[in-house]
Amino acid sequence: MPASAANRGREMLMAERSGAGTVRELDRVIADLRALSEDIASCAVLSEDGDLISSSHGPGADRERVGAILAALVNLAERVARESGKGHISQLRIDTGAGHLLLVRLDGGGALVATTGPEARVGLVLYDMRNSRGEVEKALAEGSDQ
Amino acid sequence: MKKLLRGLFLLGAIAGAVYAVRGYLQGRSPGTENVQIVFEDGSVRSMASNSTEGQEFTDIARKLVEAGL
Repeated sequence: MPASAANRGREMLMAERSGAGTVRELDRVIADLRALSEDIASCAVLSEDGDLISSSHGPGADRERVGAILAALVNLAERVARESGKGHISQLRIDTGAGHLLLVRLDGGGALVATTGPEARVGLVLYDMRNSRGEVEKALAEGSDQ
Repeated sequence: MKKLLRGLFLLGAIAGAVYAVRGYLQGRSPGTENVQIVFEDGSVRSMASNSTEGQEFTDIARKLVEAGL
């Protein structure tokens, strides 16, 4: 199956699972966050099941692959938390040299994730992400109520 | 001479303050740690990229930073 067709199928599946209104609301929250925090290069919301619900990716990007890699990262972080006897992670920051990956855990187990360039003001981006977390959680909660 | 020393001291202080503020805004911690995990209880764990766990995190993050989300 071509990647674009697979992506469309994935988006439809996500819309069915989470509600089209929820996906639209999450897309709006992500767009607002990116407008507020100009250092963010890309941004996504991962559900507690490890599904990529919303992403700033343009059409043609392999959302399924990105979702799988993100889920692997969240699992790794949660494993470290368990092994450290800390329950759950709250925030994760990784400097790759080529840029930063930032993750803020949502209530219930999902995650708000963003990437930035190497010169980004990471502290400010994380602050904006933490401020947007409530809106993301609200959108997800409304979706699960439907 | 005294004036010159005072000027140099001021210049050094300003340069240090700029470096510290820049580091704070970029969220960098001192040292070579490039992975930082904050847990629910507020405790923090940092890992260096040359540690096994740190390398695992960095490898996955690199793919995501390159591909975008």
